[in-house]
Amino acid sequence: MDPAGTPLGKMLLEEITPVVMVLRTPSVEEACVKNGLSFVEMLSPFCNFSNIDVPLRTSSDQPYRLHKFKLRLFYESDVRQPNIEVAKERLKQVITKAGEKENLELISDPPQVSNLLDSSKSELLPSWFEYLNKELIRTASFSEHETFDHPVGCLLVVSSKDEQPINRFIDHFNTNKLPSLLNDGAMDPKILKHYLLVHDNHDGSSEKASKILSEMKSTFGTNECHLLCINSSQDAKMEHQDDPWASYKYDGSPVQRLGCCLDVDDISALKDLMHEFSSKHVIPYMEQKVRILNQQVSATRRGFRNQIKNLWWRKGKDDPNEMPSGSMYTFSSIESQIRVLGDHAFMLHDYELALANYRLISTDYKLDKAWKRYAGVQEMMALAYFLLDQSRKEAEYCMENAFNTYLKLGSSGQQNATRCGLWWIEMLKTRDQYKEAASVYFRICSEELLHSAVMLEQASYCYLFSKPPMLYKYGFHLVLSGDRYRKTDQIKHAIRTYRSALSVYRETTWSYIRDHVHFHIGQWYALLGFHDVAVRHMLQVLACSHQSKATQELFLRDFLQIFQGAGKTFEVPGLQLPVIDISSLKVVFEDQRTYASSLAASVRESLWRSLEEDLIPSLPGARTNWLDVQTKLMPKRLRESNVCVAGEAIKVVVEFKNPLQVPIPISNVSLICELSRSEEEISDTNASTSELANDEDHQRVVSSDSGSVILSEFDFSLGGGEKKLVELTVTPKLEGTLKLVGVRWKFSGCVGFYTFESILLVKKIARGKRKAKAKQSPLNDLKFVVIKPVPKLEGHIRSFPEKAYAGHIQPLILELKNQSNCSIKNLKMKISHPRFLSIGNKEVPHVDFRACLEKQSDNKQGGTRANLKKASQGVFLFPEDVAIKGDKPLLWPLWLRAAVPENFLLYIIIYYEMEDASSVMKYRTLRLHYNLQVLPSLDVSFKISPCPSRLQEFLVRMDVVNKASSQSFQVSQLSTVGDNWGISRLQPIDGIIPSQSLTVGQAFSFFFMLKSRRLSSVDAATHVPDLSPDVDNDVILCPGSVKEPLVNATHSPLANFHDSERLQHGIHNQKDDNTVDFVLISRPLKSDTNSEEDSDQPQLFSHHACYCRTASTSPISWTMIGPRTKYHNFSSSFCEINLKMTIHNSSDAIASISISTADSAGQSDALPSQGGWKPVVKEIKAASPKAAGIIAGNSPESLSSLKPVASPVSSFIWSGSSSSNFQLGPRSSTDIPMQICVFSPGTYDLSSYVLNWNLRQDDGGCDQLEAKESNPEETRKLSGTCSGYPYFLTVLQSV
Amino acid sequence: MIVCVAVVGHQNNPLYIQSFTEADDALKLHHIVHCSLDVVDERVNNPKKSGPTLNETFLGLLYPTENYKVYGYLTNTKVKFILVTTDLDVRDVDVRNFFRRFHAAYVDAVSNPFHVPGKKITSRTFAERVSNIVKSFGLSSTG
Repeated sequence: MDPAGTPLGKMLLEEITPVVMVLRTPSVEEACVKNGLSFVEMLSPFCNFSNIDVPLRTSSDQPYRLHKFKLRLFYESDVRQPNIEVAKERLKQVITKAGEKENLELISDPPQVSNLLDSSKSELLPSWFEYLNKELIRTASFSEHETFDHPVGCLLVVSSKDEQPINRFIDHFNTNKLPSLLNDGAMDPKILKHYLLVHDNHDGSSEKASKILSEMKSTFGTNECHLLCINSSQDAKMEHQDDPWASYKYDGSPVQRLGCCLDVDDISALKDLMHEFSSKHVIPYMEQKVRILNQQVSATRRGFRNQIKNLWWRKGKDDPNEMPSGSMYTFSSIESQIRVLGDHAFMLHDYELALANYRLISTDYKLDKAWKRYAGVQEMMALAYFLLDQSRKEAEYCMENAFNTYLKLGSSGQQNATRCGLWWIEMLKTRDQYKEAASVYFRICSEELLHSAVMLEQASYCYLFSKPPMLYKYGFHLVLSGDRYRKTDQIKHAIRTYRSALSVYRETTWSYIRDHVHFHIGQWYALLGFHDVAVRHMLQVLACSHQSKATQELFLRDFLQIFQGAGKTFEVPGLQLPVIDISSLKVVFEDQRTYASSLAASVRESLWRSLEEDLIPSLPGARTNWLDVQTKLMPKRLRESNVCVAGEAIKVVVEFKNPLQVPIPISNVSLICELSRSEEEISDTNASTSELANDEDHQRVVSSDSGSVILSEFDFSLGGGEKKLVELTVTPKLEGTLKLVGVRWKFSGCVGFYTFESILLVKKIARGKRKAKAKQSPLNDLKFVVIKPVPKLEGHIRSFPEKAYAGHIQPLILELKNQSNCSIKNLKMKISHPRFLSIGNKEVPHVDFRACLEKQSDNKQGGTRANLKKASQGVFLFPEDVAIKGDKPLLWPLWLRAAVPENFLLYIIIYYEMEDASSVMKYRTLRLHYNLQVLPSLDVSFKISPCPSRLQEFLVRMDVVNKASSQSFQVSQLSTVGDNWGISRLQPIDGIIPSQSLTVGQAFSFFFMLKSRRLSSVDAATHVPDLSPDVDNDVILCPGSVKEPLVNATHSPLANFHDSERLQHGIHNQKDDNTVDFVLISRPLKSDTNSEEDSDQPQLFSHHACYCRTASTSPISWTMIGPRTKYHNFSSSFCEINLKMTIHNSSDAIASISISTADSAGQSDALPSQGGWKPVVKEIKAASPKAAGIIAGNSPESLSSLKPVASPVSSFIWSGSSSSNFQLGPRSSTDIPMQICVFSPGTYDLSSYVLNWNLRQDDGGCDQLEAKESNPEETRKLSGTCSGYPYFLTVLQSV
Repeated sequence: MIVCVAVVGHQNNPLYIQSFTEADDALKLHHIVHCSLDVVDERVNNPKKSGPTLNETFLGLLYPTENYKVYGYLTNTKVKFILVTTDLDVRDVDVRNFFRRFHAAYVDAVSNPFHVPGKKITSRTFAERVSNIVKSFGLSSTG
């Protein structure tokens, strides 16, 4: 790579070039001003030669040609070190002007990071950087220690108008006008002089000028004098195709056309003049000087001898001067001359010579501790190395050395350090060492904010361009830079840097940083008055849940301020305050499905659908779609859209969330809707092909604020972090197509809106849409076809309780209302849980709750049941004559019984059809949904054991536990259901429960005798004495409740509930004689807390127990009948006792039974101790030792004789047939005689027999078997073995 | 004194950042941590520099700024730990030791079954543990 072609090389060829001092008279300037230019400006374009082609010789007589060359022209007054303050001011102006130019691009979005990396460097880098850097470099020009800025030559210019031009020339070189550099000895005052006479052609012909010229030539020598004629164009209307001055007048005002008086000849004259001046005078002069100096230097310093001498001499000078380091070297000192030699060689592109001399001098300066000069030389060495493209390391080392040395000098070296740094940076950039370049930029940063702002910004770009790009640092340095810009009031620059930083930070998860950037951009835009852009940026930081509360408040306050600054209310897209949770979006609309409450609407559609199955008339094909009937009338589009009815509200539930900790007020929340009227239905019925086109033609979009749609508006306030579900409604008034577009709200003046379309609704929103369609277009769910108003039934259950204790029976009233004037017909109702809710039978509400429940003599069980019009599957049909219209509501009684303690969800569907056949909707359904929390109350369990002594009689133990949390209950009545069983108390009524009520947590057991009525009517009367006073269906348990009438368990609604309970518990539809159903009626003990509510209404609880099995699973039951006590004189003979066994077969099949007796005893121990029954033997022993003593004959020895009772030794034998087989017909009984022989007195347990039974399968038995097998719950044993019941017989010695 | 520690996820998303200064300079520290990620990335993507220490997790001094020194540590799952300190002469051993303990704390924190990988670490236990480690770092370096 050619080092001269690099940016740094170009820069050096521009900046390190010979300087020519221009001395001119005011009249020269006057002539030039006509062109809008100063004299120097006029000449400048022609001082730059891209190919001057001057042959040269190096010091060692090597010929070479100089191509690129430039002269820098300066007025004598400018040849001095620029004032730092002035320079700063100038830089500031440059930056400010550059900032103002940014204006236009401000609004567009910053590019994405990927785009940023793709775009070229020149696009990204602001162009004014280059210019600014040049200016910065120039602030360090004309220093004493560097000679390349020292004028090489001098151009003395006098106008032909001037009086005594020759004298003026001489005056020019008056010392007090010359720059200090020449006067104080820093540079050789003997420099090249060139005399130029300027003639303005406007002032007349050039004759006078020629005269003066010849005079000049005679005075100053022919070669050094020139005549320049300008302003040949008389009318001052010259236009230059390629304006040569354009690039030299950076901040020029475009008002005056530059060079308007210069015609082509003038310009070529200018060109020739400068070319000649450069090639014929300046360059040869410099060459000559290089030659002379080189010889001098060689003589004094080159060679081994000179170097030793120099070192010696330097060493001797070990006391450095106290003077400022600069002034010790005058132009005549050898060090200065070497420097001049180096610089001249450098400017003549003889870099090797330059480098050699710089090296030579640098050690000297170092030894002399002339640091500034040393740094300057090091700097030049680095540049020479660079341009020679040698030893990069060396170049960098020199540069760093120079830079550090300048920095060490403090403020005096600041400008030079900056220049040096910039060159260094350029050098690094040339070698693609951007990262290092960036760090140099960082080091250039001074205390001065504006300066460091620019440097940091440039550093940031270096990070961007480095490979790989260091985006984080890019962003960071932009932010740092922007911060400094802001502090120096360069707001536009600050915005620019921050916006550039946004490309890095926009997508970042580093929210603190992102917020900071957005917030400040917003603030600054607001300062500039760009309120809308400011608002846009502020929006980004509003929803900052991660920030502290103070920061949130700050953001919010500033946002509102900016917003008010904008001074108008406008819609803000993407206002994230509050945040809308789109996943919570729920649209509830009513087509043929209507909902009684929002609770009902939130129930899953499939649940309703399964309930509805039996209600809705099934149409062939798609039963789900009532519109199928009218396929021909309705365009396809309508059939696939959601349907809603005009005048009925569509509810949209959306969740608003406040992400901040600061409460925010929200007002005017409403939906954005579009209702378009479509006449398609009438005009075009079957042109489905042109449907799409027609859509556009026929639809007239009605804006939402016209009267066609009623929107609800909400105002609310969201506390910190609060979430709120808001139900918004829209009510279309006209038919057409309604589209839900979004939601809008007002947040202290600014209107935020949120369009539902902005997100693709992945979630299926609208309920009840077929899946295929939902896939088709999810947005269709927000589109509705509005149809003509149809009647709508409203209904609710009056005062539905929220909580109830299990078993509580309550009357309820269902109220149905039809607001419209069209009547409806064919009402049907279905309840999801008939176990909990039963439908009353009268249209009039039950005034007397008690009357329905109490047992009355005239109640006919069959009659009440017949009244219930139950259709299949539990669908209730209202009577035909029921009509609901207008104001008059329909009241229908219902019974609620909280069956099971649980959180219970009740669903009710009411179906109705339109009387008006022409309406689009044929039927509608009303869906009611209630929630009931059922608390546990009494827990009832029954245990039935056969009574050992009696056939077909059972002992019933009822365990009742009060599981309620705070309620006491009074158990009042137990009833059996059905005619088969009668029940009676075992204890007197007063002694059952001492406290008369069950308090919380109390458990209690009741004992009853259960008796089969059927058997008693046949056999029991003959065999068993009727011990119980009344064998009835009902037993009163509480003495207090005797006064109250019995509750009729067989009457509706108790009977209905009981049926449901039975259904719930099993599938036994056939009667099983061995099971019994109980209904326990209880009342809550009226406590103080409950006294207020329903004090007049008696509260009633019922607990149902179904299919309580009588304990034995076998269909065979038997009793042993015989004496219990027998006196016998054992001295005479053993005792024979006759017994009788009555066996009953309760099954429907013939049973074959075999009884086998066994003499081995010992079963007495195996007595099951179930259900509170204890082996009686032990009790006898323990409770009545006296009796035992009697038995044993009062002697202690005889006590031991009791042992056989408990011991396994058998002391009796079965003397009858050891085994008997017989058949027993269905539902019949038989007696089997038995006999035992006893050999000694004692108490005997006669249970040592086994009864085998086997049900015979006769006609149809196979079917029965199959039926039973298919129903595993009900498998009944077809055969079995039972061991004998304990039967105790006491035989005593007769006296 | 350690002024800031941070855990940065493998997508350079902040998982945990905690400053231990009194002043309200969270933003500054965020910036410092954020832009030191460049250096981490560079070191990770330039294996030639870390040739002999291929499995070395400790990245060393990342970023000497005017007032701070930034050290980095990279786990096998490309989670970065960043340490910002004001101490001017810090022994490498101390920093290594710190990072090892910090890593252990991090591993324990993300082993929590309720922690969602890639989400910010909100565990209070972790915060306590980290602050203990930070405190002990100061002690061991001075004493």
